[in-house]
Amino acid sequence: MEADASDPEPPDAGEDSKSENGENAPIYCICRKPDINCFMIGCDNCNEWFHGDCIRITEKMAKAIREWYCRECREKDPKLEIRYRHKKSRERDSTERDGSEPRDEGGGRKRPAPDLDLQRRAGSGAGVGTMLARGSASPHKSSPQPLVATPSQHHQQQQQQIKRSARMCGECEACRRTEDCGHCDFCRDMKKFGGPNKIRQKCRLRQCQLRARLSPVMPSESLPRPRRPLPTQQQPQPSQKLGRLREDEGAVAAAAVKELPEAMATPEPLSDEDLPLDPDLYQDFCAGAFDDHGLPWMSDAEESPFLDPALRKRAVKVKHVKRREKKSEKKKEERYKRHRQKQKHKDKWKHPERTDAKDPASLPQCLGPGCVRAAQPGSKYCSDDCGMKLAANRIYEILPQRIQQWQQSPCIAEEHGKKLLERIRREQQSARTRLQEMERRFHELEAIILRAKQQAVREDEESNEGDSDDTDLQIFCVSCGHPINPRVALRHMERCYAKYESQTSFGSMYPTRIEGATRLFCDVYNPQSKTYCKRLQVLCPEHSRDPKVPADEVCGCPLVRDVFELTGEFCRLPKRQCNRHYCWEKLRRAEVDLERVRVWYKLDELFEQERNVRTAMTNRAGLLALMLHQTIQHDPLTTDLRSSADR
Amino acid sequence: MFFIFILLDRRAKILAAWFRTGHLASLQTWSFRVMTTKESGGAKAESALSSSANPSNCVSEKPNYALKFTLVGHTEAVSSVKFSPNGEWLASSSADKVIIIWGAYDGKNEKTLKGHNLEISDVAWSSDSGRLVSASDDKTLKIWDVRSGKCLKTLTGHSDYVFCCNFNPPSNLIISGSFDESMKIWEEKTGKCLKTLSAHSDPVSAVHFNCSGSLIVSGSYDGVCRIWDAASGQCLKTLVDDDNPPVSFVKFSPNGKYILIATLDNTLKLWDYSRGRCLKTYTGHKNEKYCIFASFSVTGGKWIVSGSEDNLVYIWNLQTKEIVQKLQGHTDVVISAACHPTENIIASAALGNDKTVKLWMSNY
Repeated sequence: MEADASDPEPPDAGEDSKSENGENAPIYCICRKPDINCFMIGCDNCNEWFHGDCIRITEKMAKAIREWYCRECREKDPKLEIRYRHKKSRERDSTERDGSEPRDEGGGRKRPAPDLDLQRRAGSGAGVGTMLARGSASPHKSSPQPLVATPSQHHQQQQQQIKRSARMCGECEACRRTEDCGHCDFCRDMKKFGGPNKIRQKCRLRQCQLRARLSPVMPSESLPRPRRPLPTQQQPQPSQKLGRLREDEGAVAAAAVKELPEAMATPEPLSDEDLPLDPDLYQDFCAGAFDDHGLPWMSDAEESPFLDPALRKRAVKVKHVKRREKKSEKKKEERYKRHRQKQKHKDKWKHPERTDAKDPASLPQCLGPGCVRAAQPGSKYCSDDCGMKLAANRIYEILPQRIQQWQQSPCIAEEHGKKLLERIRREQQSARTRLQEMERRFHELEAIILRAKQQAVREDEESNEGDSDDTDLQIFCVSCGHPINPRVALRHMERCYAKYESQTSFGSMYPTRIEGATRLFCDVYNPQSKTYCKRLQVLCPEHSRDPKVPADEVCGCPLVRDVFELTGEFCRLPKRQCNRHYCWEKLRRAEVDLERVRVWYKLDELFEQERNVRTAMTNRAGLLALMLHQTIQHDPLTTDLRSSADR
Repeated sequence: MFFIFILLDRRAKILAAWFRTGHLASLQTWSFRVMTTKESGGAKAESALSSSANPSNCVSEKPNYALKFTLVGHTEAVSSVKFSPNGEWLASSSADKVIIIWGAYDGKNEKTLKGHNLEISDVAWSSDSGRLVSASDDKTLKIWDVRSGKCLKTLTGHSDYVFCCNFNPPSNLIISGSFDESMKIWEEKTGKCLKTLSAHSDPVSAVHFNCSGSLIVSGSYDGVCRIWDAASGQCLKTLVDDDNPPVSFVKFSPNGKYILIATLDNTLKLWDYSRGRCLKTYTGHKNEKYCIFASFSVTGGKWIVSGSEDNLVYIWNLQTKEIVQKLQGHTDVVISAACHPTENIIASAALGNDKTVKLWMSNY
């Protein structure tokens, strides 16, 4: 309602604007003032407007109100009750209800609108919506969301609260359902039933019978039809709506097929809006995607002509013509869009049409050498044989020429490749000699160890333990962090490390398969992780335990002077006691093994490189490459563009 | 004269001031010194400058490019040709969705890289000549390993045709320009898009890193050339001339001081980017429709090489701006011309009526 415009309709009861002078503004509220610049709420019965301040309803409270009646109306007519839209406010209200009247709302602002027929349109979401929309010019802002009405306070305790919304009346059978059926097309699209979530609609059986845009029930008279036919077609139980839609479309199409000359006269039950506006769907539709061939009404007599592409196209065309005639008021661009779709559609059909047209006429001749038969449709040849013959001839014709061209000038890439291969070969050689060296060292080491074992024990001979007694430094173990005596440090750390390492695994999926390698990787299969242990076998703490040392075994470690010079002597202490050379064989073996592993890696790398170069060389100038490409040499003297030859 | 040239090496600024008035020899010495430092240092610079005085050097007035090889193999228009940095290979991308690698010296085809779904607009080499990146209409870029011929990664993220691409000199980043008016910087190793630079209002037609990899120049159909800081993605400078015809190609000069800008009004311009001024203009060719690649030829004489819509390859003297040679042989628009990094070889590629790549060689 405009600020200075029409007066509120004179109500039967309630406050009336007594002073309705021409010059003065109309007055409202219990305060009888014309001030409309503050928040106001209107009674839905008497249509009188009240200031929020005067009746103590704030804007915020009013937001939650759907229908509001002034105190007088409520007193006069006990049936009128204030209706709310929000559950929370409802709860609040139920506690406040017992209090004084003016405090009984959480409010929503109402706009002064000329037609406040709210109670008559009880629960009509559309009504409120349009009202709000219409009243947008008023000085008061509107609440943008559709308001929710709730059942009256009376029923609160008895009835189960069903949320009502613009699309749910809350009272019909569909609204009362709580579970999705799981079988309708909408359910099957839901994520919880494994669908792609493209359609995003409530279960068909839960679509409100009163308020939903489409209903599961099919009344005979027209219900608002969907804007577009639903995109799914593979329904085991097509819903009635869809079936009806298809029926209609099919009926029209069938009618069109049957009565082509009377195309104009055929009544078209579907208006233009009902047919798909979405271009993709339209195309699909034209292509017959929505034709349900399983429906019983499609009698056999009609089936074949209907399925015939040409006829179908014509049917569509006819309908299209009809539609075009009707749509004089349609926007040009929509028409143009459809026209373009039709063109596209036409193009789709053009090709089969052409071949159809050509059937009686002459097809292109098969391209096979010496063949006079007609080619197969969609092919250049009449048979495989012809195709093969032609291909062979082509090769005979062109290939020698190409080969000659190729050999005219030396291929620089080939030369590079050859040089590269040379280099790789040489490196492989050196790697192999290194490997042999390693093997030799390995054997040497084994010999030393063996010899050492054969030595006799000479206890107490070299008590070099005495030296280290002086030190009272504390070394911290690297693995566990505890302080340890340096004398036993080595032993402790080895053990400690083994303990921690044995808890982790380190492996790969493939067992080691190297010929000529005696012992490299542990290769113990771990069934849990399905890997083969790739630690050095001599070192692996997980899979090889240190063998028990017999009491009389001697340490046997070759002693050195100044770190590098071998003295030829061996440590004679019993192995159990020797703290300096703890685990020396293991470590030395590991050293050698590591070197060997490295050489093998290098060899592997070289092998890979060689393979790459060889593949490149073999794939160069293959049959296909020669046939497809050509290098024309214009200057017979210049075969190599490099200025300084032989780089 | 000679005395002053010795000074020249020491105090370039003096030289610049001295020569700026007339003949822009400063340009030459700058470009010479930086471009040729790797090769022979000061001697060549001196000899080059004193070309008129000293007849013993080899800079002549005109090149004598002659057609040596025609490489046939593409079944659709060729869109771009690039020489590999090590000079061994030539990569050509085409509308038939493949990239063909040819030997640069003998023109023999080496490999075909297949994988794109739509036409390829551009291809670029990494600095180690081991990888290629290609930009295609299927809105992706693909990184290829040349030796194996396999596609290593596909970079997705653009929302429209990807039009141009380039590696940076360390070859850890890829820059791409697209019809969706943005440029993206990608990390080569992971294939992730690191930055998106959108400051153009029309398709981006060319992107290029400078020789150090710190700057990016981008040109677009909106007529604006922008210079970006590669690390931060900030736009450092915008080069706009009086009117703004669509920019079809931009490239840094080998020393990174100048930018060659091709616009769709049949003009090529050499800009000093730090001063924001156009130094040279090259005309005579026809370029109104296609984004034709141009190049600096620095191996022999200093030329600017560009394709043209009248089926010729144009070569201008960089200093004098005269057309020194026009190479004839193609039967369609020459869309791309590339210069070999070490030899006096030019590769040119033409569109759909021709579909070939031609190799030309000159003595100087």
